[in-house]
Amino acid sequence: MKQLIWKTTGIVAGTVLFAVAAALAGSSGLHPVLVIGLWLSAWVGLVLYGILMRTFIRGLDAVLSGLNLQNAAAECRVPAVLKPMAQSVWAYGAKCRQSAERLQSENQDLAFQIQSLQRQKTSAEAILHSIRDAVLVTDGQDQIVLANEAAEHLLDFQLDPRQPKGIDQAVSEIMLCEKIRKSRSGKIRHVRHELTFTRDGRLRTYDAVFSSLFDESETVAGVVVVLHDITREKEISQMKNEFVSHVSHELKTPLASINAYAEMLVDGEAQDTETIRQFCSIIQGQALRLNRLIEDILNISRIESGLVKVNRDNHSIALVIRDAVEMIKSYAQEKNITIHSQAPILYDQARVDRDMISQVVINLLSNAVKYTPEGGSVSIQSQVNEADGCITVTVQDSGVGIPPDDVDHVFDKFYRVEANKKYAKGTGLGLNLVKQIVETVHGGRVFVTSKIGEGSTFGFELPLAETGRQAVTI
Amino acid sequence: MSERKALVVDDEFHIVQVVAIKLRNNGFDVLTADNGSEAYKLACQHNPDVIVTDYQMPQMTGLELIEKLRQNESTAETPVLMLTARGFAIDDQQAETLKIAACLSKPFSPREVLQSIEQVLGKKTAV
Repeated sequence: MKQLIWKTTGIVAGTVLFAVAAALAGSSGLHPVLVIGLWLSAWVGLVLYGILMRTFIRGLDAVLSGLNLQNAAAECRVPAVLKPMAQSVWAYGAKCRQSAERLQSENQDLAFQIQSLQRQKTSAEAILHSIRDAVLVTDGQDQIVLANEAAEHLLDFQLDPRQPKGIDQAVSEIMLCEKIRKSRSGKIRHVRHELTFTRDGRLRTYDAVFSSLFDESETVAGVVVVLHDITREKEISQMKNEFVSHVSHELKTPLASINAYAEMLVDGEAQDTETIRQFCSIIQGQALRLNRLIEDILNISRIESGLVKVNRDNHSIALVIRDAVEMIKSYAQEKNITIHSQAPILYDQARVDRDMISQVVINLLSNAVKYTPEGGSVSIQSQVNEADGCITVTVQDSGVGIPPDDVDHVFDKFYRVEANKKYAKGTGLGLNLVKQIVETVHGGRVFVTSKIGEGSTFGFELPLAETGRQAVTI
Repeated sequence: MSERKALVVDDEFHIVQVVAIKLRNNGFDVLTADNGSEAYKLACQHNPDVIVTDYQMPQMTGLELIEKLRQNESTAETPVLMLTARGFAIDDQQAETLKIAACLSKPFSPREVLQSIEQVLGKKTAV
């Protein structure tokens, strides 16, 4: 195609030149030989120009094509005259190519980084919103710029990122606002405070950590606040302190007697055999009391921590009651208290740890005897409820009764009815142990009803053993 | 010289008994009570030289008893020793305000109780 263009151009140009020369010869009166010489010169010049242009264009073409080829391959196609220029063009081209490649690579990196940042942002947002602690971020002007759902819920506001609000506008907790301001203005890196807010009518305690964010010029650019709800921890800590305090007091009381009477014996304060025997008896009694107390505490602790070993089997509750009544009878007789017992004829087996349920019945019976005045009566009965698949045991006394305000708390650990303390000694653990054994270990339920001056009824309900239920049904 | 009189108050019978025996064996005339109200009545009636009381008692605690005693002219200055199973129950300022002569932790030593009483009464006599 290129050759055709060149040939056509040459023929056209030659014809034009010949025509011009003929016209000039005719019009100017020049000698025809001179005109032909001129025509030939023009023709030769034109051919030379063509060749030169062709070489130049081919060379230029090779130079330009060399931008995309290996230099060695392109070099042989470039005329010597164009080689310096070709080298410069190629060098420049190489630089351009490198720049383009670098830009393309950087572009890819940037796209990757944008994607990665987007993923990180999404991930960070998901993490932030999944945190149960309230997280709040303010800027240098104390405006809320970030908050997770927990913070919005706790502090009762909605964050609109397009219209950030000042903390005072968004948050009604004055102490929190003050602490944020103080952290920022005081350039405090990290500080911890305990704050209390009222939420849903309950006072809740929060461990609040304030961390200032600094920019390159060490100016506080904002404050990050993390609020962790420690209400439960505080309650547990208080309960633990109360427990330790109660336990130490209860343990020290019999220990004090043992220590004091032993010292009296050592010091020779007991001068006759009868007094010595009396002191020894007191020491022994207090040691047993101490042991019972420790056993009760350990049992409750084992049950609460799930470490208690339970030996479940099918046992007749009526038989457990019969044995417990036998055990408590002598104690009741000391106070001239009659114990009435009524056990069902029905098959009343429950799948229980016999020793534990026996402990429950003994605790309830001894409590009833303890708080019943001399000459009173205590009755125990069990009743099988086939429809509900359970057995109910009740212990009723004609004792002093429990004030209404105390009734709901009698099963609490270490709880003792203040008004009834004068009637009997106690640790406040017996009924709690009953509750733990019945409810935690056996999945039953305890209950109490009482009237001051008339007496109390304590009881528990246990599910009947499957085989027992079948037997009753049959 | 008239016999020195002590009042011992504790809801634990064995504690009252052991302190009472120790004091009686050492020349004291001892009155006993198992609660704060009864102790207050006895203190007002008999005006003892010294009172030994438990801290934790039903109805009226040892501290409440002392507060009541300090409000009565006849017992306002009576030396009081407190027995407590809760070592952290009374701080120095409280002890000073209520003029508690000494605090002994349970388990206590009857010997130490006697020594503390002798010390307190000795100081009182010296004054």
